[in-house]
Amino acid sequence: MFDAAAVGVAFANLFDPFTMIMLVAGILLGLVIGILPGLGPPIAIALALPFTFYMEAVPSLILLLAIYNAAIYGGSISAIAVGIPGTGAAIATVLDGHAMYKQGRGGEALGLSLTGSIIGGLVSVVCLTFIAPVLAQVAIKFGPREFLAISVFGLVVVVRVAGANLFKGLLVGGLGIFLTTWGLDELNGAERYTFGTYHLYEGIPLVPFLVGIFAVSEVLIGAERALKRIEFDKTSLTVKIPGLGTLSKLRGNLARSSLLGTIIGIIPGEGAAVGAFFAYSEEKRRSKEPEKFGTGIPEGIVAPETANNATVGGALVPTLTLGVPGSPAAAVLLGAFLIQGLAPGPTLFDERPDIMYSLFLGLFLINILLFFIGLFAIRFAAMLIKVPMTVIVPTVLLLSFTGIYAVSNSIFNVGVLLAAGVLGYVVRKLGYSIAPLSIGFVLGPILENSLRQSITIADGSTAEFFNTPIGLGIYAALALTILWGPISTRVRSRLAGKVKDP
Amino acid sequence: MLTQRLANIVFTVLVIFACAYFAVVAQGFEAAGLLASSGLPSRFFPQLLLAFTALCAVVVLYLYASKGEAGDEGQTVFASSAEARRGLLALAAAVVSYIVWLNFGFVMMAMISGPLLCLAMGVRNPVIYGVVLALAAGVYLVFTQLLGTRL
Repeated sequence: MFDAAAVGVAFANLFDPFTMIMLVAGILLGLVIGILPGLGPPIAIALALPFTFYMEAVPSLILLLAIYNAAIYGGSISAIAVGIPGTGAAIATVLDGHAMYKQGRGGEALGLSLTGSIIGGLVSVVCLTFIAPVLAQVAIKFGPREFLAISVFGLVVVVRVAGANLFKGLLVGGLGIFLTTWGLDELNGAERYTFGTYHLYEGIPLVPFLVGIFAVSEVLIGAERALKRIEFDKTSLTVKIPGLGTLSKLRGNLARSSLLGTIIGIIPGEGAAVGAFFAYSEEKRRSKEPEKFGTGIPEGIVAPETANNATVGGALVPTLTLGVPGSPAAAVLLGAFLIQGLAPGPTLFDERPDIMYSLFLGLFLINILLFFIGLFAIRFAAMLIKVPMTVIVPTVLLLSFTGIYAVSNSIFNVGVLLAAGVLGYVVRKLGYSIAPLSIGFVLGPILENSLRQSITIADGSTAEFFNTPIGLGIYAALALTILWGPISTRVRSRLAGKVKDP
Repeated sequence: MLTQRLANIVFTVLVIFACAYFAVVAQGFEAAGLLASSGLPSRFFPQLLLAFTALCAVVVLYLYASKGEAGDEGQTVFASSAEARRGLLALAAAVVSYIVWLNFGFVMMAMISGPLLCLAMGVRNPVIYGVVLALAAGVYLVFTQLLGTRL
């Protein structure tokens, strides 16, 4: 399983000057985009995607991973400084981070968020490095029934965490999968919804669709609130790294939030935002003084910031080993693999271990460099919060148009980008989440092929359809996930009732 | 202002009609030659999904049609009429930009899309227009000179 030669190649790949430049550029770009309110990691990756078309696999993927990591961390800077989360993952950070900032302890808050992010990121990379190769070895034995079970699991979990209304999530998830049925049927060559144009023979292209869903829809929503001015006091922006005493006091919080974030990242879902909220509420629940949360305490910053960066390594586990994205950002990252002619999945570990090791090592390096770059760049990067949306909106739209055209030389794909953007805008305005739509679009082909092959294998027998121990395990985990909420609520209310009884 | 209730009702009805249309279109899928007899028909999966999506749309429609079930019926789609105007005009500007690219080429689109979006957002400051045009020139130069894209 361990391939020393591949590790050597990975080191050489990683320490290539161009790769290092991409790594640093990715961190800076990610910080910038993460800080700008509304533009989160999926958009950051989507905007950089066209540029990777001209690069080798390792520098391109390192660039995108650096953007992914740094954008999640960058979101906390605007959350702390102005109380506006740069990304969804930083919403929980606003509560204590901005409260601390208003008390003149902004530097301390920024230091805590940076330290937490780096620790969470590093722990999740360790987990990724050990879990992913083992899971890939198991996954190599997967057949259509197992892949069907995983796809169903991923989709249902995404829908569950995506929004308040289950049926709205299922509706857009179904819509996302349906759109992948367009184009020539891979199994028997039938033309499906091609409407007489050869552009649709290969179906709706993945990259323009995802960039449209995330970037263009965000641009249109950004245009609505374009004239709002953002003002902030920049006096307490010098980062104060927490001392060993503080870190020792927070060690339990750091460990729990890192593991929680990694686990939530592994489960396909909303990724960083969900991880941050889970960790925040878990720490609040465990605290002896829960009423202090929200008033500006270190625990309230460390928990969400550690967990949201820990989701990055976690989200890459199913993405790299199964081709099932762990978060919307990872779904866009899948597009980067496809641009490079790589198909994420268990066989990738056998075919290109050098790339896999380059990514693992690269993630370590990204987290370490993010610490130093974050330390010095925060003060300057925070100034970007003042860049008006009236400048961001036209520039991001033009970048999206041009980038998509550059990847494919196809104006049709620009049309797909625009149409997907309009679809994303409409569903978001109507209170739907775009996470099930995007994940559904990525999982659609896996779902269809595995379902059709499973039905063929089962040959009309329902028992044979479920005659797969791994698949049954996944379905059992799915049932547990669905039932866990109602069960725990019931148990808690019963316990509360027992306490009250006497 | 347009309420979530009305907008969601219209949306779900449209989804149901679209599902019906695409399900009918799927009836006409024909497999190519010798592959025709292999496995399940091509229409199986799309029709399965359309039925599922339509079912979800019916449930959402019911939730919005019966008052108080969905939770956000009273809310409006746009926070104010000014926000609605800016969002919808920006959408129109994006579509116009694409049409301009189709008919007059990239350079013309790059020159007008930024100012059009600024107009849609109600920008009055000429400096913003200047910055947006300068950034558009930057995007053009990066793609043509640095990446070698033929625009």
